[in-house]
Amino acid sequence: MQGIVSGDNRFSRLVYVWRVRWKVRARNLAEFWRDLRGRPLALLGGVVVVLYILGAISAPYISPHSPTQGNLRYRLRPPAWQEGAEPGYYLGTDDQGRDLLTRIIFGARVSLLVGLLSVGISVAIGTALGALAGYYRGWLDQLLSRFADLLLAFPFLIFAIGMMTFLGPGFTNLIVALTFKGWVEFFRLVRGEMLAEKTKEYVEAAKVVGQRDWAIIASEVLPNIIQSVFVLGTLRMGFMIIMEASLSFLGLGIQPPTPAWGSMVSVGRDYMLTAWWVSTLPGIAILIMVLAINLFGEGLRDILDPRLRVE
Amino acid sequence: MAVKNRMLLVLMSLVLMAAPLASCGTPTPEVVERQVVVTQIVQETVIVEGTPVMVEVTKVVEVEKQVVVTPTSLPARDVIIVGLSAAPVTLDPADHRTRNSETVIRNMFDGLVTRDQVSGVHLELAESLEWLDEQTLEVKLRQGVLFHDGVAMTADDVVFTFERIINENMIEYPEVHSSPRKGLIAPLESIDKIDDYTVKMNFSAPWPPAIQMLVHQQIVPKHYLEEVGTKGFIEHPIGTGPFKFLSATGLEQIVLERFDDYWGGAPDLEPVGPPCVRQVVFRVIPEASTRVAALLAGEVDIIQALPAELADTLAKTPGVQVGTAAGTQPKWMEMNVNQPPFDDVRVRQAMNYAVDKDLIVEAIYGGRAAALAGPLSPYNNYINTSLVPYPYDTEKALALLAEAGWIDTNSDGILDKDGISLAFTMDTLEEFRSLAEAVANQLRALGVDVGVRFWEYSVVKPMLDANERMAYLDDWGDSAFDPVGHFEAKWHGRVTGQTYGRGNFSGYNNARVNELTKLGEITPDPVVRQLIYDEAQQIVYDEAPAIFLIIPDETEAARADIVNWGPAADSRINLHDVCVAAQ
Amino acid sequence: MRAVKILERVLITIPIMFGVAVVVFFFMRLTPGDPVDIMMGQAGAVSTGEIEQLRREFDLDKPLYMQLWLFLTKAVQGDLGYSYTQKRPVNELIFDRLPATIELAGGALFFSLVIAIPIGIISAVRQKSLVDQFSMAGAFLGTSMPSFWLGIILILLFAVRLGWLPVQGRITYGINLEYVTGFYVLDSLLGRNWPALVSSVKHLVLPSVSLGASVAAIVARVLRSSMVEILRQDYVTLARAKGNREFLVVMKHALRNALIPTVTVVGLQVGSLLGGNMIVESVFSWPGLGRLVVKAIFERDFPLVQGAVMIYAFTFVIANLIVDVLYTYLNPKITL
Repeated sequence: MQGIVSGDNRFSRLVYVWRVRWKVRARNLAEFWRDLRGRPLALLGGVVVVLYILGAISAPYISPHSPTQGNLRYRLRPPAWQEGAEPGYYLGTDDQGRDLLTRIIFGARVSLLVGLLSVGISVAIGTALGALAGYYRGWLDQLLSRFADLLLAFPFLIFAIGMMTFLGPGFTNLIVALTFKGWVEFFRLVRGEMLAEKTKEYVEAAKVVGQRDWAIIASEVLPNIIQSVFVLGTLRMGFMIIMEASLSFLGLGIQPPTPAWGSMVSVGRDYMLTAWWVSTLPGIAILIMVLAINLFGEGLRDILDPRLRVE
Repeated sequence: MAVKNRMLLVLMSLVLMAAPLASCGTPTPEVVERQVVVTQIVQETVIVEGTPVMVEVTKVVEVEKQVVVTPTSLPARDVIIVGLSAAPVTLDPADHRTRNSETVIRNMFDGLVTRDQVSGVHLELAESLEWLDEQTLEVKLRQGVLFHDGVAMTADDVVFTFERIINENMIEYPEVHSSPRKGLIAPLESIDKIDDYTVKMNFSAPWPPAIQMLVHQQIVPKHYLEEVGTKGFIEHPIGTGPFKFLSATGLEQIVLERFDDYWGGAPDLEPVGPPCVRQVVFRVIPEASTRVAALLAGEVDIIQALPAELADTLAKTPGVQVGTAAGTQPKWMEMNVNQPPFDDVRVRQAMNYAVDKDLIVEAIYGGRAAALAGPLSPYNNYINTSLVPYPYDTEKALALLAEAGWIDTNSDGILDKDGISLAFTMDTLEEFRSLAEAVANQLRALGVDVGVRFWEYSVVKPMLDANERMAYLDDWGDSAFDPVGHFEAKWHGRVTGQTYGRGNFSGYNNARVNELTKLGEITPDPVVRQLIYDEAQQIVYDEAPAIFLIIPDETEAARADIVNWGPAADSRINLHDVCVAAQ
Repeated sequence: MRAVKILERVLITIPIMFGVAVVVFFFMRLTPGDPVDIMMGQAGAVSTGEIEQLRREFDLDKPLYMQLWLFLTKAVQGDLGYSYTQKRPVNELIFDRLPATIELAGGALFFSLVIAIPIGIISAVRQKSLVDQFSMAGAFLGTSMPSFWLGIILILLFAVRLGWLPVQGRITYGINLEYVTGFYVLDSLLGRNWPALVSSVKHLVLPSVSLGASVAAIVARVLRSSMVEILRQDYVTLARAKGNREFLVVMKHALRNALIPTVTVVGLQVGSLLGGNMIVESVFSWPGLGRLVVKAIFERDFPLVQGAVMIYAFTFVIANLIVDVLYTYLNPKITL
C-alpha cells in the first residue's frame, strides 16, 4: 500500500498493473485453446454452432428452394428416404408444399438472431446497470434491485407471453419481450461481482491515481468480470432460443410466412398422424442447436469460470 | 437427533409418494354396489290424426333397484363421447352465436322446428305452423311435452323464450345485456299467447326464411328461469330435449343423460322416442390431431371437424368411419374496398383470377370442397346458376393489375405503382391457417407481397368493424340455405345499430345490392326472389369485394360401431338417434 | 431468532406481490383493444346504452387510478372480477382449473425427482462410468429440448404408435370417481378406487414427463456436481475411515449436504414448471389453468389473464419463500 500512495510510483505502478493483466490474458487465451481441445464435447458444440451460423448466413445460397413459396402439388411429401418422396426435397415438404430443409435452414436465422440479439441486449443493459448499481450503491441500487426482484417474481415464459400479448407478435417485439426480463440475470451477476471487486486493491489504486469513476468501471473492473458475463450469456442463449420457439409455438412469436422453428413444430401438429416429419424435424433442429450451444457454454464455463454453477 | 428425525421424515414421505406407483401395477377391479333408479318404459304410443292431434303420453314406471357396477366395465357402451373442436360459450340457448354452443344446446333443448341433416325443416315442438297473413304466423304447440323437471311445456314458455330474445336487456347475468340471437330473428316484432297451446308471431314485414330461421331458437322453461335466474339456469339448464343436463366441468366437458320422459322428437324424423344411449359426453379437444388420435385410441366415439387431409386415411382405417355432408360455411377473403389498392375493382378482380381454387380444393381439402361462384354457397336455395367460379388465369390477373397501374418496374418480383409495392397483410383466424397461407402463397407468386396474421375473432372483430384492416379471410355460416343471412350480414352496406352489414368487413356498399337485399327479405314469391338474388349475386360477383374461395364439406368421423349417425350440413351433432351397435 | 428471520422473509414478499399486482394491472390496461368491443364481439349490433352499461359494470368508465384502486381492493378481498368471454367470476374459473394444474405440476415434480435423485447419486458415486456418461448426456438432452416438441414426440410414440398411454384428458370417461379434492390421483386413492387410480396415473404420465424432463435434467446435474464435491471432503473420508459402509456414507453424509443446493434449484424450477404448463397443457388438452390462460390471452380476456398471471406469480413467490425457509432447516448455518 505504501508504494502505491507515494507520488513518484504512481505512474509506473499503473503501467505494471496493466502489463500484468495483459500477460495474464494472453496466457489465458493459449490456455483456453488447449483446454478446449481437451474437451471434445465442448469443441463439437462449438463447431456445430459455427456450422449453424454459417448455414444461417449463407441460407439464400445453399437452400435448394424458396423458404416461403411452396407448390401445393407437392404438399406433405415425406423425406427422401421414405416412399413417395419428391426428388429434390430431401427432408420432405410441409402443408404448403414448401421444402422443409430450406425452411429449417432459414429458421436458423430467426433462432440465432433472436438468441444473439436478446442475449446481447440483455448483457449490455444488465452489465451497465449492474455495474452502476454495484459501484455506486445508494438509491439507484435500491431502485434497480427492487425492480429486478419484481421481475423475478414472474416465471419467464408467463412474463414473455404477457409481454407479447401487450406488444403484439413480430420480431422486434419478441426481442423486446425477451430482453425486458432477460437483463435481470446479468444485472444480478455483474452487481454481485462489482460489489466484490470494488473492495479489491486495484480499484483502490485506480481511485488513488485519480481515475474517474466511469473509467474505473469500464477499464478496470469490467474486464475482470466480463468472462463470467460471457459464460452466462452463452448459457442463456439456448434458453432464449427455446423461449422464442415456445412463443412461436403458441402463435405469439414470428408470423408467417417467415419460417421459425417453433411455429413450424406447431403447424406440424395438425399433420402429426400422417406427416410426422413436419413437426419432428424442426424440433430436432432446435434440439441440436440448443444442445450445441449448451455443450459449448458448459465447456466455456469449466475453462473460464469454474465458480459459476448450473443455473 | 434432530437430524435423524428429519431424515426419517424425508424417507417416509418418499415412500408415501412411491406408494401409488407401486400399486398401479396390479389393478384390482372392485365391485361396487350402488342404488340406482331404473326407468322402464311400459308403453309408448303416439297417434296423429288430422286436426286436432291427440297424443297419448308415454307411460313410465320407475323402479328402484340394486345393481352391481364394476367401475372398469360399464354396461357395455351406452355412453357416447363426442370430441368437440371448441368449447361452447354457454348453455343458455339465448346467449350465444357459435355452432358448438348450438350443438350441445340442441341436444338438451328443442325448437319449434328442427332441421334434418340436409336442409329439410320439420315440425318439432310446433304441431302446426300456419301463416294467417304474410306477416303473422300462428303456431300450434304440441301437448304433453315435458321439461326435464317434469313440468309441461306451454305457450307461456314459448312467449317467454322469444321475448327474452327480441326485447332489449333481457339477460341479466353476468351483466345485463340483450340476446345476441336477436339478429337471427330480427323481423319478429312481438309474440302473443292465444291459448295454452297456441301462439301468434307478428313480423314487421313478410319474411320468407322465417321457418328456416326458427330452427335456431330453442324453447326454455319460463317457470325455472324465473325461479333460478340466468346464473342458476346456465349452471343447470333444463329444456325439453332428448338429453338432460348431468354435469359440466367448466364447459370443457359436459355430460348429458337420457331424458326418459322425452316426448319423442320430430315425428317426421325416425326413430321417435327417447334417445338410444344412456349418456353423452361432450369433451373439448381443440387440436385436430389430438382429436383424431383420441378417436383412433377409442377415447371418443365421434369427432367434429375432421381435417380433410386425414379423411382418406381414416376412411381406410378399420374401426373408424368417416362421414361427409355438403357444407354451409363458405370462405372468402374480403378486401377493404375503401383503401388502395383494393379500392380499384380491377385489383380485386385480379385477386380472384390469381387464386387457383381447384388446386386448393384438391390439395388441401382432398377434393372434399367446392369452389365458390360468387357470394353464395353452391348449395344455397337461390344460387345464381349462370355464374361460374373465377377461373385461375394469372395472365388475366397481371393484365388487370397492369391496367390499374401495378407493374414490377424495379424487377424485385413485387408489383409496384408510384414507387409503392403492392403489399398487404391478410388477417385470419388460426383455424383457416392452411387455406390462408395457400392463398397468400399464390398471390405472392403473382408478385403481391402478402403477410398473414392470425387473430382471435373477438380481438380482430372491432378492427374489422372499424374497416381498419386490409384483408380478412373468414367464413360465414348459411345453415338456413337462404340468401337472407349472407346478403344481409356480408354484402349489404354497414348500418350502425342495425344487423345490416354486421359481418361486412370489406366496407362494400352498393346501393343496388342494398336495395335488392331488402327486397329479397320481404318477397314471398320464390320466382321473383330468384330474379332478385340472381341480380344481386351478379353485381357482387363482378364488383368482387372478396376473393370468392371455397366451401368445404362437413367432415366428421366416428367409431365404426356408432350407428344412425352422420354429419349434418349445419354441423350440429344431434345425438337423439345415435346408437352403439351391439357387438 | 429463526422465527423472526422467517417472518422478515415473509414480510418482504408483501411489497413484491403488491408490485406484481400493479404491473399486471397496467400491462393489461395498456394492451391495445377496447375491452367492451371485445366483449361485444359475439353480439353484433348493440346499442350505445348497453355499451355504457358494460363500461359501468366493469368500472371502465372510471379514471385509471380509480380502476387500479378498485382492482387492488377487490383483489385483496379475493374478488378478481368477471371474465369477459366466459361470463363467470375469474375466481371460480381459476379454482375450477387449479387442481388439474397443480396435479400436473406435482406429477412433473414427482417424476423429475424420482428420476433425478437416483441418477444424480449414482452418477456422482460412479463418476466417469458408463452410467454417468449416459445420464449426463441424457441430462444435456433434457435441458435442450423444448417441452412442446417432447410432448408431441411422446404422443406420437406412446399414444399413437404403441397405444400404451392415452392421448389427452385426465381420466377415462365412464370411470366413476367421486371428486373430493379435484386431484384425481388423490381422490381415487381416498376412495380406494383402483381403476380410477390407474386411469388417472396413466393420463398423468406423458404430460408429466414432457413438463418434468428439463427439471429432472437440471436437478440431476446439480445433485451430481454437489455430490462429487462433497464426496471429496474430509469428513466423508473420515466417515469412510471409521469403517462405515459406503452406502451409509453416501446416503447419510453426502446426500444430506448435497440436497441443499438441489432444493434451491428445485425452487427456481417451480417457475419453469408453471410457465411450461401453459405449453404442455395445450399439447395434451389438459383441462388446467395454463390452457385457460393461453386462450384468455388470445381472446384478450383481461380480467382472466390478470387474475391467472397473478396466481402464477404468487405461487412462484411463495414457492421460493418455502425454499428459503426449508433452506434454513437443511443448513442451520445459513441465515436468511
